[in-house]
Amino acid sequence: MKIVYVILALILTVFMLSCQKEVFIELPEPENKLVVEGWIEQDQYPVVSLTRNSPYFSAVDSSTLANLFILNAQVYVSDGTLTEQLTIDFSNAFLGIWPFVCYKGSLIKGEVGKSYYLTIYAEGDTITGVTTIPEPVVLDTVWWKPEPNTDDTLGYIWGIYNDDPLLKQYFRLFTLRKGRDLDWVPAFGSVYDDIFFNGIEFEFSIYRGVTALTDIEAIENDDELFAFKKGDTILLKIGSIDREHYDFWRTVEQEYFSGGNPFVFPVVIRHNVEGAIGVWGGYGASIYQVIAE
Amino acid sequence: MIIRIFFLFTFCVFFAYISEGQKYTISGYITDEQTGESLIGTNVYVKNPVRGTTTNAYGFYSITLEKGTNVLYASFLGYSDWSKEIVLNGNVSLNIKLSPSAITTQEVLITGDRPDKNVQSTEMGTFDMPVEMVKKLPSLFGEVDILKTIQLKPGISSGGEGSTGFYVRGGGPDQNLILLDEAVVYNAAHLFGFFSVFNADALQNVEIHKGSMPANYGGRLASVLDISMKDGNNRKYAAQGGIGLISSRLTVEGPIKKDTSSFIISGRRTYVDVLMKPFLKKSSPLKESAYYFYDLNAKVNYRLSDKDRLFLSGYFGRDVFDLSSSEDNFSNKISWGNATAVLRWNHLFNQRVFANTSIIYSKYDFAFEAFQDQYDMKLVSGIEDWNAKMDFTWLPNTKHTVKFGANYVYHTFTPNNASAKTSGVELDLGKPVELYSHEGALYLGDEFDLTGLIRINAGLRYSLFSHIGPFDRFVKDPITNQTVDTIFYGKGENVKTYQHIEPRISARFMIDEFSSVKAGFTQNYQYIHLAAVSSISLPTDIWVPSTELVLPQRGNQYSVGYFRNFYKNMFEGSVEVYYKDMKNQIEYKEGALIEDNINNNTDNNFTFGNGTSYGIELFLNKQTGKFTGWIGYTLAKTTRQFPDINLGEEFPAKYDRRHDVSVVAMYEINPNLNVSLVWVYSTGNTATLPVSRYIIGGNVVNEYGPRNSFRMPAYHRMDVSLNYTPKPKKQRRWESSWNFSVYNLYNRRNPYYIYFETKGNITEGYLEIKAQQVSLFPILPSVTYNFKF
Repeated sequence: MKIVYVILALILTVFMLSCQKEVFIELPEPENKLVVEGWIEQDQYPVVSLTRNSPYFSAVDSSTLANLFILNAQVYVSDGTLTEQLTIDFSNAFLGIWPFVCYKGSLIKGEVGKSYYLTIYAEGDTITGVTTIPEPVVLDTVWWKPEPNTDDTLGYIWGIYNDDPLLKQYFRLFTLRKGRDLDWVPAFGSVYDDIFFNGIEFEFSIYRGVTALTDIEAIENDDELFAFKKGDTILLKIGSIDREHYDFWRTVEQEYFSGGNPFVFPVVIRHNVEGAIGVWGGYGASIYQVIAE
Repeated sequence: MIIRIFFLFTFCVFFAYISEGQKYTISGYITDEQTGESLIGTNVYVKNPVRGTTTNAYGFYSITLEKGTNVLYASFLGYSDWSKEIVLNGNVSLNIKLSPSAITTQEVLITGDRPDKNVQSTEMGTFDMPVEMVKKLPSLFGEVDILKTIQLKPGISSGGEGSTGFYVRGGGPDQNLILLDEAVVYNAAHLFGFFSVFNADALQNVEIHKGSMPANYGGRLASVLDISMKDGNNRKYAAQGGIGLISSRLTVEGPIKKDTSSFIISGRRTYVDVLMKPFLKKSSPLKESAYYFYDLNAKVNYRLSDKDRLFLSGYFGRDVFDLSSSEDNFSNKISWGNATAVLRWNHLFNQRVFANTSIIYSKYDFAFEAFQDQYDMKLVSGIEDWNAKMDFTWLPNTKHTVKFGANYVYHTFTPNNASAKTSGVELDLGKPVELYSHEGALYLGDEFDLTGLIRINAGLRYSLFSHIGPFDRFVKDPITNQTVDTIFYGKGENVKTYQHIEPRISARFMIDEFSSVKAGFTQNYQYIHLAAVSSISLPTDIWVPSTELVLPQRGNQYSVGYFRNFYKNMFEGSVEVYYKDMKNQIEYKEGALIEDNINNNTDNNFTFGNGTSYGIELFLNKQTGKFTGWIGYTLAKTTRQFPDINLGEEFPAKYDRRHDVSVVAMYEINPNLNVSLVWVYSTGNTATLPVSRYIIGGNVVNEYGPRNSFRMPAYHRMDVSLNYTPKPKKQRRWESSWNFSVYNLYNRRNPYYIYFETKGNITEGYLEIKAQQVSLFPILPSVTYNFKF
């Protein structure tokens, strides 16, 4: 009888072991594409970065990373009356903030309600895009609340938002911990569509974003994963965005989280630029400060 | 034009009938002498010349012969042959009782079909799968599975390990009509397709139509799987069951009133979750999880008189998957299942007219509930049918078998109703949606001998489908995707109606006693569709009706074949070639997401296109002797073309399998011991893989290549099994047998899926991507103990 139990155990253990092995796949050479990541916020100058795509399995190290950026493009931003050529800027590279190489403006500042046109000439291609800066979103209240079982040391940021049923709004959330984050970090699951809470008073929590989603070691060792520590001063930015801008980040984040999942149909990214892939988006920003106490 | 053909052949039928000479009919029911169980598909025939028929799904036969002396024969698998000399001076009612034969000799057939049915019948692509044979073959974990066994025949391929559907001649999983005692079973799979919902102990016969579907079936494009439950022993009480590695089953049957009425109840449940618990670490996230499935089949029948019989049968089954952790404060519960109930009334109008009336209820539902911290979400989906049908069989003479009837179904669809709450606030996910429709059909078909060598089966089916209210149509602006108008339809109000005539014709031309050529053409319409959420079949796939936007699927199948038996019907062989073209196939629009379903109609998210499938099937079967088995090979191609997918370029269907080979061998060592071996090989599944990557927001984004352009490695495996039935010296009431099976004998790591593992941090300057292949089942031995008393 004992033997039967042992055999059973063996069989079940065999079943439970995940049979997994690395395989080597031949993929065809991809078509070269240019990738635009650009934004303009109200009261701020536009920022645009231009990179290349790479064959799927090509590994990345510091030299290949540098080669991804396009350094000799002509990037223009226009508000309908004024046009400005953006100049290349390497300051992000020294700080270790993505994107390392950008084209920045110094003349046109974003204004709520206006449309901005992007034109890029690079490597023989012409790239165009248009975006708007919608009316910023106003939150009722924002606060930090500790989570149970953490000795009151860790918590999430909570907000109350009164949705206007007549106004169609999309927004994107960012956080920045003073003295700890070098730049704005998009929240984990950063984009919202007001269709889910149209016209109601909506209470929601914000999870601190993960900058490098594939850095498994850092994620596993992060004691403050998704949360904010007591004592931190956190800035919260809510950027109001238009529909095309929302579609881009919604599909990109879906791809971040499900990319490589064999059970889901591949996500089709909704780019909003012509002649390349990527995004050119405006933000109507409101900034709030929360002290975690 | 079609109406004219219709009247022409109705006229021919009548003309043939009235111009006959002096003939009389012998008819009756054929049953098992010991249990009283009706025998389906029993051959009843006369010789010189060979002419005959088979019993129908209720064990009824009717044969019209010349006045005078005739010798009538009846034969069926596992029973001693029966014959009787009959002097025919008038119509005769003759019920036949066959006695089970324990002796297996060279002559006994191991298929349920008439020896030369391969050559004689007009229907191509139709075959029976007797349950007794299925039980002899090797099985996964010792679980006998009808659906897995039919996939061993050419033209029927598996969806892959862990996939619920099966594909027939390049058709999708929703294009197979699966019937259990006439009730539609919408999702015939337990545990994501590892096992089917059919408990073999409760079943009597399985009939598959993959080629020319006769006119009495409709509503699906690719195939019909018609499964009959046993009626139950009406002479004495009996029970049988088995204890297996992961599930156990028990069947109890017996008479309610001897020779008149009987019942059968059959149940099965897994306990893999209970067994696993001691082996899981306390810290394992699966610690509080459970997975189990159960099913229950029940049937009662009552013979009111020689002319009337009543049956009531039902099926109820459920899968429950519970992934929870009270410590981490989350709970995910997924459950799905079918429930069916059928009330049937057989009525014999006279010797030549048999009728069956049925009232059927069938329901499939799926529920997903997730709870985490303050967030609570529920998603339900399903379909519910109320169905009434009448089927008549009229045998005016031996030359014609006329079938006609009507079918009506009222469908209620719940495509996907979601509700969610966060911190007690109910989120607005739109009004819960239910869709209603009527589906109906009328059919008329006749199988007749045009000449001594040519037999034709011709039929017409008229089908109708109406989408009715209450229904709200959200009219969307094609560019902004915002709702610009809402149209309200009241209860019962017609939203959209479709009606079609479906011709079905097949013919057989005898070349000689042992060979024939057959050809067939069928046109089918399918009014309900399965929208697949992911690239493999899952219980989350939703059934949707045809609407103004979703047109009925249409399939035309052309097939031709050559059939030959060898060595006095010891071997049957065939070569069949088919071509199918399918219109109005459905897929989700690329990039469709959950939010798209809010205050929106499900069908606004679909896109439509065509499918084409063609192939050649080779089959060789040894039917008699100690060594039996078959080899099947299919070479086929299935493609789809959708204007909105893959930039309008043709792409391989998910289930495009270039090669599919099955080898089945069974050997009877002695009456107590038999062994069997199965080897399958098929071209790998298609997959859409990324071809390049780029960086957005400091993270990797994949760019995908053409749809289904990648081919996974081929799938092949070998299974063996041994059945041992000890026969004690003294005949005891308790009989037992052991089944030892090994699944995947040479432990091949067949790919289940390939995923990409990305590691690294761009801002720190390093990134690495690897492809990982996950396989499911390694070598799996199993033991099952079966008993009977």
